[in-house]
This record gives sequence, C-alpha cells and structure tokens, in this order.
Amino acid sequence: MVKTASVTGKPIQIKVFPQRLLQPETAEKLLNEIDQVKGVIRMLIGGKNLPRKVTCGPGTGTDVNHPNMEIIHVGDCAFELHVMVGEVIVELEDESTKEELRKACERALPFSFEFKQGFFIKKKATLTDYGKYGFKSKTDESINLEDERILGLIDPHAKAESNLCVINTGEEK
Amino acid sequence: MAYKPQYYPGNTSVAKNRRKHMSDDVEKLRDISDEDLTALLGHRAPGSDYPSTHPPLSEMGEPACPVREVVEPTPGAAAGDRVRYSQFADSMYNAPSVPYWRSYHAAINFRGVDPGTLSGRQVNEMRERDMEEYTKRQMETEMTCPGLAGLRGCTVHGHSLRLQEDGTMFDMLDRRRLEGGVIVSDKDQVGVPIDRKVNLGKAMSESEAAKRTTFYRVDNVAFRSDKEVVEHVQKVWELRTKYGFVPKA
Repeated sequence: MVKTASVTGKPIQIKVFPQRLLQPETAEKLLNEIDQVKGVIRMLIGGKNLPRKVTCGPGTGTDVNHPNMEIIHVGDCAFELHVMVGEVIVELEDESTKEELRKACERALPFSFEFKQGFFIKKKATLTDYGKYGFKSKTDESINLEDERILGLIDPHAKAESNLCVINTGEEK
Repeated sequence: MAYKPQYYPGNTSVAKNRRKHMSDDVEKLRDISDEDLTALLGHRAPGSDYPSTHPPLSEMGEPACPVREVVEPTPGAAAGDRVRYSQFADSMYNAPSVPYWRSYHAAINFRGVDPGTLSGRQVNEMRERDMEEYTKRQMETEMTCPGLAGLRGCTVHGHSLRLQEDGTMFDMLDRRRLEGGVIVSDKDQVGVPIDRKVNLGKAMSESEAAKRTTFYRVDNVAFRSDKEVVEHVQKVWELRTKYGFVPKA
C-alpha cells in the first residue's frame, strides 16, 4: 500500500457542490455512494458549522441541540456531523473513475449539483505541516507522517481523532 | 387632487412588491398572538408589564418646547418604555423582503424607529411596545415568509447560503424548523429556549415566494429587465456623485 497522496498515477480532485445544504440522511447516502466508487483516496466534507452552544449575544452558553448534529455511518466508520454538509471534495486515483463518481452523486442527490475538477486539497507537505509533524530523522528530511493522505484534511491546530475517519473497504486503497 | 406618494419606479412584479412594502399595502397571511410574539422577542416575560426607563411623559413635566407640542409621542415613548430591538434575516433565495425594504417600511409607516440595514439582515430599535407592533406587522404579513426569513437577534448566518433540503433558510441555532408542513419556533430570537412552540405558519412555496419577493434575481426577475428602475438608480447615482459640484467654466 502506498501511503502518499501524490505519488501513484495522476490523482485528480473533484468538488461535489449540491444545490441545497444536505440533511444528515442524504449526506450519509452520498458519502456511502462515493465510498463505493473505486479509486477514492480521500474525501473532505465541508459545510456550515453546527455549534454545540450559543456563542454570542444574550443567550451565550445556551445549548443549541441542533437536530442535524447526528451520528452517520460511512463504510465501517461512524462519526458525528459537526456541519450541515454543503460540499464534498473527493480525491480519485486517476481520471478513469470520474464518471463513476458522477453517477454515484446522481444516485444519492435528489437535486442538481456542481461537479468541478480542480486542486482543492494539498498533496505535499508545507511549512505548517513540517512545523506540526517535523522531519522523520536528522538524516531523512521527509515529513514525519506514516500516512501522508492526512495532509490538507485537517487544520494545523485541530485534533485528528475527532475530525478524521479512516475507512477500510474490502480491498485497501 | 390629493397627493399620492410615488414610492418606487418600475413595472415588474419586484418593483410592484417594493411599492407595496413601502406603502404598507401588504396582505396579512397569518396570525401570531401577542404572547407568542413577546416570547419570540425574549425581551420580557409574556403577560408581564412593560418595564420602563423613565416615568410616563405626562407625569414628568416636560419643559416648554414648541417641537414637543407639535409632535405627539408614540405610545411607547409616552409610557416611558425601554428601547428594545428586533432583527430579521432574509434569504437571498427569493425571501419576500429585502433588508432595505424592511427599513423603508419601518421608517415610512412607523414613528420613533431606528433601523439599521445590513446586506442580509435588518435591525430596528424602538420603544418596546411600538417595536412589538412593528414586528407583528412585519411577521404577520406577506413581508415575511417563516421559511425564508427569520427573527434572529444574533447569529444571523443564512442570508447568502443555499437553502436546506426542505427549502428553509439555514439556522445555526435551530430557532425554528419545519414540522408537519408548518414552521415552528421553540426558541426566542437569541436562541434561548422558550416554554412554548410557536406556530409561525406555512412557508411559501417556491412559486409563491418568486411572486412575492422584492429581490431582483437573474433566475427570477432580473434587475436589468426593469428599464425604469435602472434609469432611476443611474439618476440617483449621478446626482449623488455630482452632489453640489458646479465647476465654473
């Protein structure tokens, strides 16, 4: 298994941008459909923040209890949504499964969506990554990470445990 | 002939709706009780007296002033009410009212208003009982769709976002939601839970919202499709730019 995001073939990145903000059920369906597509290296979910507590105004500190803050199951992994899903960025191993991905999105989304190819998640370590993870050793100046696919998926100060899911489908990707 | 104000130019549905909002010639679509409204605003407990910030004007012995004699105080000012606010956020996906038009509606049809207009929200400060009357008017009429607009005292995020799957505007604090075909609210405008579920009525359908909106949108009524409005806006822009500038030749 190659644990770098950039070295195998020519990976491409696709942004799926639905016309509406997704309810947890639709998001779950979409992510599972995408997970079934061959050659998916990683996915990045983006959307509108769902806070646990009111953060400003006279009601500061009150619990929000947003009904969309649900636990969803993707592949063999369960995690709590902290956002109302508005976009999913998918990295594929190469162009060959792009249309398969488009069809998966069409199956999962009951409305139209934008399907853009571009460069959305970084593939190489940058200064902040070296600041966070450091070098492998004094002689090896590559980044001190076992799996470079993490790069670009979480903010430098965020904790990986609560923001990252590693999904193993039948055969390893 | 009696003077008839000409509020806004244009012949499109959006221009007509804008005129309707400015002249307060708006259709009442729903009923919201006074107690429910007070609970939603969250400034005082429903059914309690209005707290005051000064004694009633009649007891204060005002100084002799010709302006005070001419201008009759609003009920809130006469009673010495506190100044309180209400704030609306409107979705750019064909919400019935634009923040500017909420302000026009307030400034033209109500007295003692202090509207603040922003791109996606509009806040208005008034004496408490006057503010409740104004808020009730805006919430009960076609100026507000409970799905596409909302009473939001803080965390107003939603105006420029895509709608949710159920067609309502995103609300980070989950103040109101679609339940059984109607929008219900169980929190006040700042996100504090209240002791009741207020029924805000049915949300407008997409076609109805497109018909009642005051938003110009390319996918509905485009701003540039209304020549008279474009001409008017350009004229205002030109006069504002030149202002009193008269170059001597």
